[in-house]
Amino acid sequence: MNSNVTLKDFMTPVWGLIVLGLIIGGGVGLYEMFGSHILATTQVVVFTTPLVVYIWLALASTGISLLLAYGLLAGNGLIQRYTRYLLVLDIAVLLGGFAALATELGSLLNMIYILLSPNPLSPIWWMGTFYSIKLTLLFVKLALDLMGKHGPLDRPLAWATMVVAAGAAMTIGAVFGTMIARPDYQGAFASILLVTLAPASGVALIVLLRRSAELADWLIPVARQLAGLIAVMLLLQWIYEARATTVGLIGWVNPLMLVLFAAAALAGGIASRISAALVMIGSFWVLYGFIITGQLVVQGPMQGWYGAVTSFAPNLAEIAILVLGVSVAAAVYHLGRLFLLEGEGATPSHG
Amino acid sequence: MGYGMVIDQQLCVGCAACTIACKAENNTPVGFNWCDKITSTQGTFPNVRYEYISTMCNHCENAPCVLACPTQAMYKDKQTGLTLHNPNKCIGCKACMVNCPYGVIKFNWDTPHPDWREANRLAEGVFSPREMVAEVGGDGSPTSNPERDSTYPSLRQRGTVEKCTFCDHRLAQNLEPACVEACPSGARQFGDIDDPNSAVSRLVKLHGGQGLRAELGTKPRVIYIRDYRPTRRVAPARPENKG
Repeated sequence: MNSNVTLKDFMTPVWGLIVLGLIIGGGVGLYEMFGSHILATTQVVVFTTPLVVYIWLALASTGISLLLAYGLLAGNGLIQRYTRYLLVLDIAVLLGGFAALATELGSLLNMIYILLSPNPLSPIWWMGTFYSIKLTLLFVKLALDLMGKHGPLDRPLAWATMVVAAGAAMTIGAVFGTMIARPDYQGAFASILLVTLAPASGVALIVLLRRSAELADWLIPVARQLAGLIAVMLLLQWIYEARATTVGLIGWVNPLMLVLFAAAALAGGIASRISAALVMIGSFWVLYGFIITGQLVVQGPMQGWYGAVTSFAPNLAEIAILVLGVSVAAAVYHLGRLFLLEGEGATPSHG
Repeated sequence: MGYGMVIDQQLCVGCAACTIACKAENNTPVGFNWCDKITSTQGTFPNVRYEYISTMCNHCENAPCVLACPTQAMYKDKQTGLTLHNPNKCIGCKACMVNCPYGVIKFNWDTPHPDWREANRLAEGVFSPREMVAEVGGDGSPTSNPERDSTYPSLRQRGTVEKCTFCDHRLAQNLEPACVEACPSGARQFGDIDDPNSAVSRLVKLHGGQGLRAELGTKPRVIYIRDYRPTRRVAPARPENKG
């Protein structure tokens, strides 16, 4: 633990932005939760930007977890050297996602019933359970790392992290893929896409932040391949959507999404941070397009209120929730960097 | 035993008495209805057909909302077969809303009846909305029904969903749902649809019919029989009792 942190360490432009983001995003979030409804949701489009932000950040966190687990299980010394940094980043991003999710849930205090009255048939229950277990595992690993305790628990924890992280991403997909009345959602593709987006966005985030040039440079080929894979998956989905005659299917893939990921795959070598940023933007866009489009076909009598197909655009309050999620992630990350990662370079954890 | 409803499209006149009766009975706010309608127009002028389909929660046997709910706030009542909601367990995730193929579950983004919390008087000497509610002892609105509170809150919580309960509070007193009682043409029939000898079961046997979006496999308990034909000789909605 770094005990040399002073107030001066917080007097930086980055912290200024973080605090501003927390004030704006936090203010809007708290008003939505305890004041009055100001998000752009309706009775027919209920999953909007807050949920997109949560899934975007949660998937990035999942990707980092998968990388961490792989590093230990495959004996990759480079990844293992940056275990503490990756743990801090992983926890920060996941907490940012949870902050966004909190503004989306209507009755946060009733979350206790996830434990007291579980429904194992519900994909949302599994998603919440997996991510809670994942966060717990991350804190346990971080605590062990800070105490310098490395031994027989490391491999079981890594396996548990890998299984839980992959399960978490797939069950987010299942939340949508199991809906029988939403053709744009239905099927296993959602789970497959999200479990692929997870390492893509997680690796992209590490490359983008570039705290360790050594680690980032090693990950660039991985990031490019994953971006290329996402582009291929989106191309397939686009072709299937174009051919589909399913009643009620709108189709959510925009060809520009393909271009974005293809550009990220091609540009990765010469402009790795731009490539990584394209992946992060692309993954947000994919999630936004997927989640919103699936709700645009209005069901039943609500067509009398909203029309057969409705439209949606986020308002400033929803954008503020995006700011909240990113600000919370940034705040936790930078606090961890100051207190737990000594010096400006990445600190070797063990090796 | 499992409650179900049969709606005879030959007899339904599209008056929306069911919608209004439900609204009064269950204190639903401005902005949505538990009992609503689909208006379906088919054909090309001059051969145009218009159909009014009264809709509410179908209390499906394979309810997607129950499967999706992470806390079992949405659940099947084993005794009555109804799909009911416990707002005390509801986390407001809205998974039930997006999973429902019928668009009949609504969410309270704010505490219902915000207009009735207004404290300003329109003019001197008249009640403000808030004073009116307090004066009559209402719950959220001055027209709230205290009997609704016996099984489900008359004023629902902010941040939770709500939907038709087949007036379970009335069923507990051997009364029919408000929409059934209000229907002027007898288009709505209610009873134990699991009992093959019940009136509703005999109607389905006589006329056939099916629920909405039956191809999805939800097994809805609201069955629509016949369709409107002005030239059809009107047959009694209720089969004659034979002993």
